[in-house]
Order: sequence, then structure tokens, then C-alpha cells
Amino acid sequence: MMPRFEIIFPDNLSDALSVLSSGHEHMQIIAGGTDVITGLGQGSNRFKNTKMLIDINNIPEVNGIEIGREKISIGGAVTFSDILQSEFIERSFPLLWKSVSTIGSVQIRNRATIAGNFVNNAPCADTVPVLLVYNATIVIESMSSKREISLYEFLSGPYKTKLSRNEIVTRINIPIPNKNLNGDFYKLGRRRAVAISRITLAVLADVNSESKINEIRIASGAVTPIGTRFFDLEKIAKGKKADDQFFKDMAGKLGEKIIEVTGLRWSSEYKLPVVQQVFYQLLKGIERG
Amino acid sequence: MNKGFSVVGKSVIREDGIDKVTGKAKFADDYKFDGMLHAVMLRINEAHARINSVDFLEIENNRNVFSIISSADIPGAKKVGMIKNDQPIFCDEKVVTPGDVIAMLVGESEDGLRPLLSKIKIDYSPLPVLNDPKKSLDKDAVLIHPEAGSNLIIHHPLRKGDIQKGFDESDEILEQTYTTQLIEHAYIEPEAVIAIPQGISQGVKIIGSIQNPFSCRRIVAAVLNLPLAKVRVQQAHLGGSFGGKDDTMAILAARAAVAALKTGRPVKIRYSREESILESYKRHPYILDYKAGYMKNGKIKAIKIELLADGGAYTSMSPFVTWRSVVQATGPYEIENVHTDVRAVYTNNPYTGAMRGFGSPQPIFAQESLMDEIALRLGMTPDEIRRINGYKVGSVTATGQTLKDHDVNLITVLSTACENTDFAKKWKNNLKKKSVALELSKDSPILKDDQFIRPDDNIKKGIGLALSFRGCSLGAEGMDASAAYISIQNDGSVYLDCGLAENGQGLRTTYTIIASEVLGVSPDKIIYLELDTGITPDSGPTVASRGTIMGGGAVKNAAETVRDKLTALVKEEFKLPADDIISFTDNHVHSESEGTLASFQDVCKIASSQGMNLSAIGWYKGPNVHWDEETGQGDAYFTYVYGCQVAEVSVNISTGEVYIDKITAVHDPGTVINRLGAEGQVFGGVTQGAGYGIFEEVTTDKGFIRELNFDTYTIPTSKDISEIIPIFVEGKESYGPWGAKSLGEPTLELTAAAISNAVCNALGKRLFNLPLNLEEVLLNIKLRPADTKRGSLV
Ligand SMILES: Cc1cc2nc3c(=O)[nH]c(=O)nc-3n(C[C@H](O)[C@H](O)[C@H](O)COP(=O)(O)OP(=O)(O)OC[C@H]3O[C@@H](n4cnc5c(N)ncnc54)[C@H](O)[C@@H]3O)c2cc1C
Repeated sequence: MMPRFEIIFPDNLSDALSVLSSGHEHMQIIAGGTDVITGLGQGSNRFKNTKMLIDINNIPEVNGIEIGREKISIGGAVTFSDILQSEFIERSFPLLWKSVSTIGSVQIRNRATIAGNFVNNAPCADTVPVLLVYNATIVIESMSSKREISLYEFLSGPYKTKLSRNEIVTRINIPIPNKNLNGDFYKLGRRRAVAISRITLAVLADVNSESKINEIRIASGAVTPIGTRFFDLEKIAKGKKADDQFFKDMAGKLGEKIIEVTGLRWSSEYKLPVVQQVFYQLLKGIERG
Repeated sequence: MNKGFSVVGKSVIREDGIDKVTGKAKFADDYKFDGMLHAVMLRINEAHARINSVDFLEIENNRNVFSIISSADIPGAKKVGMIKNDQPIFCDEKVVTPGDVIAMLVGESEDGLRPLLSKIKIDYSPLPVLNDPKKSLDKDAVLIHPEAGSNLIIHHPLRKGDIQKGFDESDEILEQTYTTQLIEHAYIEPEAVIAIPQGISQGVKIIGSIQNPFSCRRIVAAVLNLPLAKVRVQQAHLGGSFGGKDDTMAILAARAAVAALKTGRPVKIRYSREESILESYKRHPYILDYKAGYMKNGKIKAIKIELLADGGAYTSMSPFVTWRSVVQATGPYEIENVHTDVRAVYTNNPYTGAMRGFGSPQPIFAQESLMDEIALRLGMTPDEIRRINGYKVGSVTATGQTLKDHDVNLITVLSTACENTDFAKKWKNNLKKKSVALELSKDSPILKDDQFIRPDDNIKKGIGLALSFRGCSLGAEGMDASAAYISIQNDGSVYLDCGLAENGQGLRTTYTIIASEVLGVSPDKIIYLELDTGITPDSGPTVASRGTIMGGGAVKNAAETVRDKLTALVKEEFKLPADDIISFTDNHVHSESEGTLASFQDVCKIASSQGMNLSAIGWYKGPNVHWDEETGQGDAYFTYVYGCQVAEVSVNISTGEVYIDKITAVHDPGTVINRLGAEGQVFGGVTQGAGYGIFEEVTTDKGFIRELNFDTYTIPTSKDISEIIPIFVEGKESYGPWGAKSLGEPTLELTAAAISNAVCNALGKRLFNLPLNLEEVLLNIKLRPADTKRGSLV
């Protein structure tokens, strides 16, 4: 049942922040509403005390995609469709573009936002692993403060983040990656559209002409409680030769790591072998030669 | 294609199409009435429990409660059913499945009522829960309906020839078990119905998302203890049904009607998706044991079949669904010795009933898998084994019926499908390239080096086919007749209506085409009326792919009745010889001797000025069929259709994903009336069949459904299937309008089996359990979450 609520549409950031400043748990920011509204409809605990929705779509400070020399800055209310329309993102952040293109359907992408995706922080949030390998940071503002932290730090648990009730994510900043970083995003769902991810993986690697791994960044979603980086694996890989045997070893290690953080679940019998397989195949994509 | 038609066989855009795509069409929930009340359902979280008492004290005087409706308010039948009256309108004594409704709160707003449900005190005693249909008939099994004496809903035996002798004489024997899953109709529009009281003595009017207005009326009238004529059921535009808006809607209509008569106000019930999936009936899951004896030359000598269908908590349509299974379980193959037993049993699972296909997709999956396996063992191609055993003219079916008097086009559809897909060549090629299935070990979840698959080796191609015959219309299930009403106005425009209800498949357009062809008036001059049981004669339900053959027959009869009158009139009016041939085309009336005589409009004007009745009720009655319950022998259906589908798939051997590259669907529906409508049936049926094959499954945990919405109940999207190619082989037929027969269900029933055979062709391993989802394809298992909780609810 859809509960009754009030909805307001502030048209500047300070108005929105001042409404939020009381930090009441009956207030809830809404961007695309694709998690909030469905959550309200299902009586989800996260939203059950909601009495007022604060729609942030009309706030200029949280809109627009700004392309700088060293980073790109995406507004906290920018939709997935906006991102898909950016040729710069398609070129410079191909993994982000690809993950966004797999989300829901056209209708969902027209409303849903990238900030909503990681603030909701479902285990299967598709852009999270990608933003993690791109080392995204986020700008968080309240009436009294403004801070910028890494997304990795921001995400604290399934459906949990370090966002306070009086804060808004205003910008997502992503450093433009060095040209040698290549990689791919992988998503497995039960069907090809409007699918909840069963497995997501993102890999970015800088492999030199002697096939040595200068740097590698690895992140997953859906197979771990939340989207996460695998810093241990990344460290092991550094300086190693990017060859078939090494990829197999890495895939096995990822499997072990997932067992370590997730434990064995009802789905493990399927997901574990498959995540190793597709991770191996993803790594094959960075192989030189 | 039949020559000489002016509209029949062409592509005609459906008459309700524009309204639907522009949002103007009125669905049941769009109807609102002054003073209308809403109702919400009271349930408990139990699959099986005795209700000791229900205490409404705390909410009785709540201002949001206008009335509390329970079994005590029912003036007539408290239990109903399409076949057997075992389903209570309100379960005041016992719940036997989680969807059961104990009572209903009625008030001005759903929102005001819902929070009150948890304040009602229900004292109940849980009973042992039976979920495994295999245990239903055990001696110590808990009885779901003790008054029935057993959990057996129905047993259909079939005996032909001498099964033991058949096996003894066979060169080889193959025994396999297959299973098919519980699935949801997944109509996009959830249930909605409004009951409107009609004054003191006029009974009640029902408007709703109702598949079969006449079945609905029968049940509402029984519950209200009113004569049929005092219950008027009007069908709103239907947002999908697929067999699913029958029992459920009749029961919801009855609940609304009881409340409407008690309160004296219109009462609406509408379901959320969750409530819809929770309470509505589904497709029967089957366990299918097949044992076949066959000769080295491919001839099948004997087949023993045992089917067990989980009927869930109520009888619903189980006896008829499983009856179709017993008739068709051998598939379209002539087999001397057949021994079949089909049983449906009660459990505390969600109940199962009619769904497009109606007892055929399950045995087709088994029988077509088995045929392919026999072919493989004998070194034959799938089409070879089917050519050897498939029905030809004069073949005798498992029920002892000789196939004659229509084109027995089984081998023709098979050949057409094979030629169009280069079947045998592709099948053999894929077989050569088949991969050894990955052996995954549960104990060491980390892959070994030789288990990794290179990205280029992921995709294996497969091709597979499935073949079926299908009895048209109801067969020996019951009386088979339908009616249509036509009324020609004096300007030549036409009102048309038929007692068979539009279910979203485009029936109204089909009927319009038929009337247009007979009268020679263009389809846009024909206005199709809404179905209202108060106006249109009872024509039985829109089920069993009988819409075109039966309703179409009635429309043609109605149109011909008035056309014959007009023929007589023009002969007299234009003083034409008695043997002159009059034709009606292009909105004009012509004679063989004189050419064009007058416009249709002018002829109607003359008729009207002479006081001629230009309206008629058309009637079409199916020929008699007969059936022996004991032996399962008889002429089960008066005619049959034949179909063959070829699936071409890509299987990802790393993930178990199946992608459908192409389905070639060859069907003999008899004469095609609306080409566009027929193609639509194929596109929709194949897509639904593909969902059944690879995605869809309602899973339960102690009777409780996990997939209560479309986030986890995954039906195919347009991105999941590539090409669908419909091909029609229009066989000759003496029944139906110009020999038009059935298409709706044949299009769905074959797809899962064809896909499964294709996946086997790709992988080199056979899968026995639908759906062929990721886990099944990769690991031959079904994995389920431990409970029914949704992760996102935290
Ligand atoms: C049919 C359907 C399909 C979907 N498919 C996918 C899919 O394929 N992949 C996927 O990852 N997700 C999917 N989703 C989930 C959802 O669309 C995404 O998580 C989306 O990114 C949420 O964005 P939103 O703008 O709609 O968030 P909202 O629902 O508006 O908000 C989500 C949460 O974020 C908070 N929030 C939003 N913006 C801000 C901000 N700027 N600052 C602070 N807090 C904020 C809200 O308060 C709320 O807690 C799907 C959802 C539906 C309904």
C-alpha cells in the first residue's frame, strides 16, 4: 500500500538543505524515485517513516555534467539517460557508459539517477563497481558542511551509507583515467533487460608492452554484500605478467575472496564457479597481443 | 490461401487497437461510480489452518469500516467452482492455501481499511501442511478437503492395445522422468471488478476484468441465490488473461456482489500485483513418467505414461486440464499400445487451473524430449523419427479416434519447418561440435585450470524442434455451442456482438472480418458491441482456442441469415430469375445476370421500408463427440490442428544463459481470418512459451510464493528473443467459418519443448526439468533462497 506523503520541489540547494537540516527521519530525498517509490509501495523498512519527499530535480547545483581537464563532475540528480547521451562519458568512461546502458529499461533510465543508485546501495546496484574502479569521489553537503569522500568509503553496508539525514550528495567527481587503463564491465542477469544483476564485475588495468601489469583495479557487485574493490588481489597482480595462467590464478583467488567475505549462500553453487569463469574471461580482455 | 475472399486472410488492424495504445480504452479499474465503496481482503499467514474464531471487535466501530463481509452474509452457495464446488468464497472455517480470504472489509478507501486488517483477532489452529504432490495420495497424508475422502481430484486412465505385449516386442526400452514448473499467467492488468446493485428487485450488475462473463454470472448467481437473469455481467477491456481471469474473477465478482447487495452501494475490488499473484490460480506443475518401447527402425511400439499434476488447494479446472493431457500425452504419434494414467491431486500449494495451453505444454515437453532421445539413440535426426511415427490421414490416435475428414497436416508442417530452417543439416553440424558439459564440483568451488573456458568458446549453437496435434475447442469436456447477434441498420451500418468474449487476442476484429466478408460491407461500417450477459446469448467460455472456430461459426451464421433475406429481397425487387446468383462485395449488391444492382445501403433502406427484420441471432453448435471414462477411448475432439516449431538458440556454456536466436513457427490453423491477428498470436504465444521454457517459475516455500512481483518473476522482454517467423499452412476443414480452426494455444505449447531440444543439441546433454534457467542449464539443479524474504525490504 502506498502511504500518504507530502512532496516538495525546492529550486535551490540552500532551500533543500534548510528543509533537511532538522534531520528528521520522516524526510526522504527523492531523485528518480525508482527505489523510493517502489520501496514505499512495498513497505520497505528504510522508507516506512517517510512523511515528506524532497524532490531534488529542480536544483541547479545537483544537475548537469561538467567536463574538466582532470575530472568529470556529475550532478546528484543526473539521470542515466543523461549519462548515455554524453559522448565524452562514452569515450572516456566506457565502463560507466556500458553499466548505465544495462540498467532497467528506457523508462527507468529516464528517471533513475546515478546518485540514487549508490545512495540506495543495493548489492546489485550496477554502477557501483564501475564507479569504484574509476575511483569516484562524492561531494556531500549539508547546511553547515561540505565534504568530499571516496565512494568506497561512503558505502558502509547493504542499503547503508555514511550519508547523514541532513545531507545531499551534490556531485560525483570522477578523475579522468590515464589512457593506458583498459577494461570492461560485465553484468549477468536472468534476462537481457529489466534484470536484477546476479553478478557484476568491473576491471580496469594498465598492462605495459611487456605484458606486465602496472596497475589493476577490480570491483564486483551482487556476489558480495555490497559493491566492493579487491585491493588484496590488485596488490598481488601488480608487476605480474598478464598471461593466461595468471588470469586463472587470479580468478581462483577472487573465488576464495568471495567465499571469505560472503560465505556460502544458497546461490553460491551457481555464482561461485560462474564469477570465476567470467572474471577470467574479463581478464582475457586486457591481455596484450 | 483460399481464393476469392475480399477481407478474410488479409491483415486488418484490430478495432480496439488505437484506443488501447492511446490510453482511451476503459479497463475495469477505470470505472468509477457515485458512492462506490472499496474492499480489502483478510488473510492469515498460514497455508493450512482451522479457523476457530474471528474477532472484529476492535475495528467494528472504526469510522473507516462501512461493513464487514463474511460467509454469513452469503445468501446462496458458500462454496463454488468451475467443475466442483470446493472453493469457499470466504474461508471462515479453514484456510487451505496462503491466498485464501477469510473475510472482507468494505469502506470508502482502501488506504483507510488496510491498516485495520492487523487489528482483527483471528484464533486459528495450524494444520499439517502438504506441499509435495507425490505424497498427496499416501495413506497418512493430511486431507485438504476431508469431505472429498481423498486428495485425488481426478484420475483419467487410457488403455489402448496391450502394453506388456508392446514392450515385449520392442527392441529397446527407454524410461525417463520429466518435471514442469508452476507458472503465473502474468497478465499485465491485475484483477479488478465492480458490483453495482440494481434497485430492489433487479439484482446486480458486474463490470470487470472478466475472461468469461457467463461463467462469472453462473457463480455470482449461485452465491447470491438469484436467477441468472438478475445477474448482469459486462466485460470491461481486458488487460490480458491467458486463461487466468476465470475462477479468480468469478470469486472476486461474487465477493463484490455480496457486499454490494448488503451495503446497497457499488463495491469495487482491485488487486495489487502481489495480491494477484498470491491468490490467483496458476499453471499445473507436472511430474511426467514416460516409458517407451521402440524398434530399431524407429517405430514406437508401446508407451506407458504416468502424469501427476499438482492441483493445489482446489479442484478448479484440474479435471479438464488433465483430460486434455490424457488425450494428447503420446503426442501426434500413432502408437499401437498405450497405457496412460493422469492424476491431479490436492496440496496446500497455490491452486492451479486454466492457462493457455491447458494441459498440453507439460506432456509436449516430455514427449518431444523423449522423441529426440530415441532419435539420438537410433542415430536418426529428430525429423526422421517423427516422420516414421507421426499422424497421417487415417492414423488412429491413442484414444482410438481415426483422423479423417480434414487435412491431417502433421507431416506437412514438419517438412515446412525443416525446409525453412535447413533443420537436419544444422542439427547434425551442431552435434559434431557439441561441448562436453562442464563438470563442477560442489566440494571444491574453486575452478581448476582446465575448467576455464576461453571467451571465444562460450557460445554453442543449438537447433531443436517440437511437434504437436491439438484438439480444437472443448471436445468431450462439455456442450459446445455459441451465438452471435447481428443487426443491420437502414443505412447499411451494422451492429455485431458475440457471446464469446474478447480476451485481448483480437476476437472482435476476427468476427468483424467474418461479418464483413459475408455482407460485403467494409469492416469500418461494423460496430462491435460490448459483451453483456444481459444482451448476448450464452456461448460458453472463451477457452480452448474456440473463439474463431465456434464464435466465428456463429457470426457467419448470423450474417448469412440476414444476407439470405436480403438476397430474396433483391431478387424480388429487381425481378431477377430465381437461379440468379447474388453476391455482396465492395459495399454493393451484385447479380450474375445484371451486374451491380445497388449499394448495400440502398438495399437495406428498401428492406427497412418493407418492414423486414434485419437482425438475427446466429448459432453454431459443434458436432457430437464421445468419450469413455473407463478406457479413455473415443472421438475426443471433432477436429484437430497441427503445428511444428523450430528453435535456434545460443547457449553460453560459462553462465548457462540461453538466448533465442530464432523461432520458426509453422501452424495449420485452418483458414486464416485476420493475418495480422494470426501473426500476433504466434508472436505472443511463442514469447510466452519461451518464458515457460527458460525463465518463468513460481516457487513456493511451504506453500508461500516467493515471486510475488515482476522483479523476481521474470517474463521475457523484447530483448530476450530475436526473430519469430510465423508460417501458416492452411489446411482444409469442414468446421468453423470457411474452415478456420484454432491457433491461440498451439503457438504456446510447443516453444519450451523446441527450446529444450535445441539446448540439448547445443550442449550434448539433456535437461529434464523446466525452466531451463541459468542453474538448470549449467548445473542441472534448481537453486532456491532459503525463505520468501525480499532483500530490498530492509
Ligand atoms: C523496474 C526497475 C528496474 C531497475 N533496474 C535496475 C538495474 O538494472 N540496475 C540497477 O542498478 N538498479 C536498477 N533499479 C533500481 C534503481 O532504478 C536504481 O537504483 C536507481 O539508480 C535509483 O535512482 P533514483 O534516482 O530513482 O533514486 P531514488 O529512488 O530517487 O532514491 C534512492 C535513494 O537515494 C537517495 N537519494 C537520491 N538522490 C540523492 C542525492 N542526490 N543525495 C542524497 N540522497 C539521494 C534517496 O533518498 C533514496 O534513499 C531498477 C528499478 C526499477 C524500479
